[in-house]
Amino acid sequence: MEPLTVVGKPVTRVDADEKVTGEAVYGYDLVLPNMVYGKILFSPKAHAKIKRINIDRARQYPGVVAVVTGKDAPWIHGESIRDKPFLAQDKVRYIGEPVAALAAVDEDTAEAAVRLIEVEYEDLPAYTSPEDAARPDAAAIHENFASYRKMPFVTPGIGNVCEHFKLRTGDVEHGFREADIVLEERYSVPIIQHAAMEPHSAHAQVDPATGRVTIWVANDAPFRALHEITEALDLPKEKVRFINPLQGGGFGSKGGLKVEPVAVALAYKTNGRPVRVKFNREETFISTLTRHGAIVHVKSGVKKNGAITAREMTIYWNGGAYAEKSPTVCIRGSLPAPGPYRIPNVKVDGYAVYTNLPVAGSFRGYGIPQGAWAVEQHTDELARRLGMDPLAFRMQNVFADGDTSYWGEELHSVGLKETLQKAADAIEWGKKVDGVPGSRVKGLKVGKGLACIQKPTRSPTTSSAGVIVNAKGEASVLAGTVEIGQGCNTILCQIAAEELKMPFDKVRTAPLDTDVIPYDASTTSSRSTYHMGNAVKGAAIDAREKLAELAAPMLEAKKDEIAFADGKIFLKHQPEMALPIGEVVRRKLGAEGTVRGDASYTYELAKDLDLETGHSDNASAFYMYATQAAVIAVDEETGRARLLKMAAAHDVGKAINPINCAAQIEGGLAMGIGSALHEHLVIDQNGKVRNPSFLDYHLVTALDLPEMVPIIVECPEPEGPYGAKGLGEPGLAPTPAAIGNAVADAIGTRVHDLPLSPERIFWVIQQKKKGKAA
Amino acid sequence: MKKKIQVTLNGKKTDLEVPSHRLLLDLLRDEIGLTGTKEGCGTGDCGACTVLLNGKPVNSCLIFSGELDGADIVTIEGLKIGPELHPVQRAFVQDGGVQCGYCTSGMLMMSKALLDENPDPSEDDIRFAISGNLCRCTGYAKIVKAVQDAARELRARR
Repeated sequence: MEPLTVVGKPVTRVDADEKVTGEAVYGYDLVLPNMVYGKILFSPKAHAKIKRINIDRARQYPGVVAVVTGKDAPWIHGESIRDKPFLAQDKVRYIGEPVAALAAVDEDTAEAAVRLIEVEYEDLPAYTSPEDAARPDAAAIHENFASYRKMPFVTPGIGNVCEHFKLRTGDVEHGFREADIVLEERYSVPIIQHAAMEPHSAHAQVDPATGRVTIWVANDAPFRALHEITEALDLPKEKVRFINPLQGGGFGSKGGLKVEPVAVALAYKTNGRPVRVKFNREETFISTLTRHGAIVHVKSGVKKNGAITAREMTIYWNGGAYAEKSPTVCIRGSLPAPGPYRIPNVKVDGYAVYTNLPVAGSFRGYGIPQGAWAVEQHTDELARRLGMDPLAFRMQNVFADGDTSYWGEELHSVGLKETLQKAADAIEWGKKVDGVPGSRVKGLKVGKGLACIQKPTRSPTTSSAGVIVNAKGEASVLAGTVEIGQGCNTILCQIAAEELKMPFDKVRTAPLDTDVIPYDASTTSSRSTYHMGNAVKGAAIDAREKLAELAAPMLEAKKDEIAFADGKIFLKHQPEMALPIGEVVRRKLGAEGTVRGDASYTYELAKDLDLETGHSDNASAFYMYATQAAVIAVDEETGRARLLKMAAAHDVGKAINPINCAAQIEGGLAMGIGSALHEHLVIDQNGKVRNPSFLDYHLVTALDLPEMVPIIVECPEPEGPYGAKGLGEPGLAPTPAAIGNAVADAIGTRVHDLPLSPERIFWVIQQKKKGKAA
Repeated sequence: MKKKIQVTLNGKKTDLEVPSHRLLLDLLRDEIGLTGTKEGCGTGDCGACTVLLNGKPVNSCLIFSGELDGADIVTIEGLKIGPELHPVQRAFVQDGGVQCGYCTSGMLMMSKALLDENPDPSEDDIRFAISGNLCRCTGYAKIVKAVQDAARELRARR
């Protein structure tokens, strides 16, 4: 194989220059000619009937162009369950649900006028806890749930359970009888939010002549959004176009339909004028998306020799008022929740439950962090009871190549043990630390902990791509992968440059517009490097083949005698016979000529999970593996925990760009640390978010972070481009559990609920002192 | 009530007539069209809208236009030195300090303000200086390194 020239190199990001100069245009920056400004009236009630809406005063306010309510927009959308109205229909189901909206000539007018809309409500009982809402006698949040259209993989439960996932392997009761030790625990994870720095927005325009709808939005899956909105509006696909401006971070919050439905509802009433709807930070907090809070029950049996005989789990996922991605988060989060371990008897019940809270959906990690918080701490508890070292206990039980997972899949390319060893080594595992040198606080207790995860990717899915080479010797990559900050544009250019043997700086990505860019499933699930990477690689090879055909007669040679290097096409046996790539295009097609290659990639071997057992012998195109390790100092007087160091070893298959990989790992770690120590959307018993601002919702700052050690492990995936897997999502998945284990190591007792706030740590220390179990 | 003000914006004398209550952030973005300054919260909590006002970093979402007569304002669009990237911009590019880029403008203006005042900051100085600028992508590691590298470059140029 030829050595790689661009792939694997730490090249500079293609989008960095426009971002450091302020030239980059994000969705929030977009100005359209003659646009009007939308504003939404949100529900102040968690669960209520709408008795009456009066829009007269708002409509008469000078400068108001259009006012809409649910009556004007009777459309329902939803990815896996069609349950969500564009604007509330007859009732509201959470505080923050859009009830009415208007468009006006400027923002000030829109803000003043929206307050004039009057709504009368009649309260209904509201649920905030998924365990309460899941009770068979709970009042229905969706009275017509049975009649909603659902995707075939959705298996609803009773009551407000919109998805009941089941995994059944072996016989757990038998496994518990075989065990020497049986341990049962309950863990919980609070609702948190993505908090991308760019708040949500959408622009929409409806052409009055053709009825064509154009939506400008920083959506992470424009083709899926297009499908969802055309399905809701009952329009053919060609009647809707999505144009993607840059996205200022998303982490899962900017997929599906968020601001788009209201923007479209207004755009139908503005006689062709484009509508801009921007959420401020508070609106982004209450009315876009959250990460599922979860309650995780886990029970395991182990033998004295360290073998795990059985694991039983029940997980309640707090889905909020609408299903959104709850069914798939529940399925793909519950499936591997028992952890990357060889266990003969496994039973999992995952319940995604409607509640009267803001809608929960995809969040970086997609259900893995919630399960890992429980199971990885539970793993340490088992090791402690067995008198085993937690690392050794994991090494004995984790998946390795050739093992069959408890859902029935033979695994390959498992880099897990290497990540365990490297993360452990990076924090000098096994070496005791007494106190923190130089600290003003005396008597700090220092602990170490680690946690590991395995994460599947959404499968099967398709990515298509085009590569256009012009007569100037430049290439343009047409890919539907969305640059959300993860650096996809850079690595896709690296892959195209590698295959075309062109200089990296001559290759750039084209803007994303569903009218002209080939189909891509989504920029989610860490699927892009693998799927779109394969598609772009194929498209570049296709373009190269076409260029070789053009060049052959020019070089008086056969096609198979031709080779590519350094932006040139030449004869293998006579390298001095060379033409620049652009020259070949120009000679045949003229100075404006282009050559285009195309390709698609689908992981066709994937098989759906069995709806009764959760089994599949090919559930995911690839799996990602990671181990993170933490060193923490705890002040037992105050409960304050300060991280001293974190190491994160991630099996990426092949690092297409090592700087990007390190950056993803560091960013994931920071988010994971925030979710471990600070983050918590505080919601009161009435379903109201009490901290919808960056003042009260604590994101990590530059002062909150310890030394971070990103470690790249490369256990190649044969089907991936150059062996690559994925990386974006696992970065935060094991973090809280690693920190939780470190805290337990430090103080000798365990916290079961996130975040690991000083109050919680202080409380368990007090409990321990009183001699009670935490 | 509109008020006539004159400011120096990115080195150019600029006459404006704006409502006094218009926030500097909205003045820049909506009235002048300089969208490089970002809005992350609108309440002074995230630092995405940081600009230099008379040489000092401020959250432009907390400044009323009515206070600005005679002010010197530098935004991200004015950070380049002629056609060249400012060393702190170049360091962010080279060190991987940019991901989604939404916090980048504010982060760069804050970093420039730090380096104007303290040419040789320690890591703690840098972390303290940017602690009011939230970033959700990077974990700050590569940003801190970029500011260190820019400081070195600027010192070498003196």
